[in-house]
Amino acid sequence: MALPDFLSKDKLIKQGAEARVYRAEFLGKPAIVKERFPKRYRHPALDEKLTHRRTTQEVRSILRCRKAGISVPVVYFVDYTSHCIFLEEITGSLTVSDYIASIQQCKEQELLRLAEQVGQILAKMHDEDVIHGDLTTSNMLLRCSTVDIHQTDLVLIDFGLSYISALPEDKGVDLYVLEKAFLSTHPNTEVLFRKLLEGYAASSKKSPAVIKKLDEVRLRGRKRSMVG
Amino acid sequence: MHLTKVLELFPDRSVTQMLFKEVKNAAELRQSAVEGEISGALINPAMLVDPFQVLIAANKAVHLQTIGKMKTRSLYSEIIFNLSPTNKISEAFKRFGISDGDDVVMVVVVHNKDDLQHLSDITTRVDGRQIPVEDVSSLSDIEKIKKLYKITPQEEKCGSLLDAVVCRMATKDVM
Repeated sequence: MALPDFLSKDKLIKQGAEARVYRAEFLGKPAIVKERFPKRYRHPALDEKLTHRRTTQEVRSILRCRKAGISVPVVYFVDYTSHCIFLEEITGSLTVSDYIASIQQCKEQELLRLAEQVGQILAKMHDEDVIHGDLTTSNMLLRCSTVDIHQTDLVLIDFGLSYISALPEDKGVDLYVLEKAFLSTHPNTEVLFRKLLEGYAASSKKSPAVIKKLDEVRLRGRKRSMVG
Repeated sequence: MHLTKVLELFPDRSVTQMLFKEVKNAAELRQSAVEGEISGALINPAMLVDPFQVLIAANKAVHLQTIGKMKTRSLYSEIIFNLSPTNKISEAFKRFGISDGDDVVMVVVVHNKDDLQHLSDITTRVDGRQIPVEDVSSLSDIEKIKKLYKITPQEEKCGSLLDAVVCRMATKDVM
C-alpha cells in the first residue's frame, strides 16, 4: 500500500527535523503515526542505518517503560521499511506544559503535587536505565487515570532520542535538559522544579549519584569537558 | 455474528473473524488447514483477549507478505506466528493454533472486500455453533495469557491486558 496515501496531508499534526507526526485511525482505534522521513542531506546508506536504529530504539524504550509500569503509549504496529511507528493516541489529554501555564498562580498545591509525581516517574524510568533524551513538559501528558477517575495518569511520550544507560552522568544530563527546558518554558518556577527533584530523590535508591552529577553538569553544561 | 474490518493500510483487503463453539470436527479442520484446503487461520480462542489482538496480527501479516518478508510459509501461518510473543514458529502453533480435541475455534480470513463466497465456504466446513466474535473475551484463559506473554503485575497498573499483549506482539522482532 502506498503509505503516503494513508498519511494524507490533512492528518499531519506536527513536523519536526527528525519525523512527521500524523493523527489517523488504525484498525478502528485513534492512533498517532510517527514517520521518520528520509533525510536528503545524509548519505543514503548512513541515513537508512541511523533511521532504522532510532526507530528500533524508540520502540525498545517504550516497551521497557511499560514493563516497569510507567505509562507510555501502546505500540500498535511498526513498519521498518517506511520507518513508521503506529502508537495509541492518548485521547482527552493535556500536556503538562499547557497545564502549568493554565493554572500558574492559584493552585500552587496541585502544581507542587504534580511536580513531585513527575519526579517520581522519572526516577522509576531512570531505575530501568532508560534515558529519555528529550525531557520537556510538552513530552509529558496528563490524562484521567484508567483505573481511578479521580486520579490523573502521567504519560511520557516521544522516546525518539532515548537510549539505555546505567551511568549517573547520562541520567544527570537527562535531568539537566529538563531543568533548562522547564525553567525557560515556565519562568519563576524554581520552587516547582526543586519539588520535582525532591520527588525524584525520594523514590530512587540510585538518586544521590545522579543528583551529584546534576550539580556537576550545571557548572559545566551538558557536554563533558574534553580537556586533559 | 462475524466481524469484518477493512485494513486501513491495505484498503482492498479485509479481515473477517468468526467464532464457533461446540465444534465437533476440530481434528478434521486442523488437518484441512495444514493441507491448505482451508484458506483461513484457525486460532485457539483461549489465548485471545480481544478481536483487536487478531487484527494487529493480521495487519502485520499482510504487511510482511506485501514486502516479501514473512517468517512462515503462508499468510495464515504468519497470523498465528504474529500472535506469539516469541520467535519460535512451532511454539506459536502449539499455543495459538487449535488442537484436535478443541471445541472452540476462532477462524480468521483475509479476503477482498466483497468476496463473501470464500467466507461461506469455510462456515459450512465447521461443525459447530457460531457465536458473536465479541464473546471471545469470555473464553480467554487470562492466567495462561499473562504467563505466556510474561506480563507483570506492575505493567497492569499502566494499562489493560490487551495493551500489554498488543505491545509485545508489535515489538517482538526487535527484542
